[in-house]
Amino acid sequence: MTLEMYLLLSAVLFCLGLFGALAQRNLIAVLIGVELMMNAASLNFMAFNRFSVTDPSTGQVFVLIIIGLAAAEVAIFLSIILNLYRQRRTIDPESITELRY
Amino acid sequence: MTAEMIVVGVFVVVAVAGAVMAVRSQQILHNIIGLGISLFGIAGLFLQLGSPFVAAMQVLIYIGGIVVAIVFAMMLSMAMTINPPARNLPKTIFAAIGSGLFFAGLVGLLSKTQFATRPTAGDEAWAVSRIGNALLEHYNLVFETLSVVLLLAIVGAILIARRDKTPA
Repeated sequence: MTLEMYLLLSAVLFCLGLFGALAQRNLIAVLIGVELMMNAASLNFMAFNRFSVTDPSTGQVFVLIIIGLAAAEVAIFLSIILNLYRQRRTIDPESITELRY
Repeated sequence: MTAEMIVVGVFVVVAVAGAVMAVRSQQILHNIIGLGISLFGIAGLFLQLGSPFVAAMQVLIYIGGIVVAIVFAMMLSMAMTINPPARNLPKTIFAAIGSGLFFAGLVGLLSKTQFATRPTAGDEAWAVSRIGNALLEHYNLVFETLSVVLLLAIVGAILIARRDKTPA
């Protein structure tokens, strides 16, 4: 596989994640879309790391940091979802409109 | 068609099919399983890109940690037993148009850009010890900052998800 093919694949994954994050009606599914976008980004890093960087430890460190940040993000997101469910009995993003206007 | 190409093709198909399953299904459990499948395919691609360590971390932390945490949140918030609300049709259409436009833009950029490629570094540059050295020498500040971020995330998650509402 060439660099362009990896970049195309990660564009496909990113746009699938974007669609999921925009269109789903369940906050957990929105989180899944965001995770897909993060993985597309780290796939990009690894592809460039393979094909156009002289020191290959750079991109691997980047991807490890992305994984760590994703873990932190998921912990916060899930605790917010749990708290929301406890107070409102819903995790539909369209019914949480208190701060909208 | 070499064996390597077949293996890469299988991983690509697994990653894309998992992503489609994660986005398309209305059942939240199917979404989570699709995410796991897609992450597994991407881990295989990392392996193919020459980094078994990052591939192992992807499987351990993402599939073993994050996907399991999402399953726990699904069970605790009863997302499985609530009837999934029907898709909001205009929202779905606009989301498809938006992400489709973004994809078209990305493909346009890709077809125009000439990327500079270099020959891949030798095997010893891909050793795991190189990653450890880079993390603790050149990227020391990033490493320490990430550890503080993770600690704060854990404390914040406990604080937000606590049952009683009186501040401590």
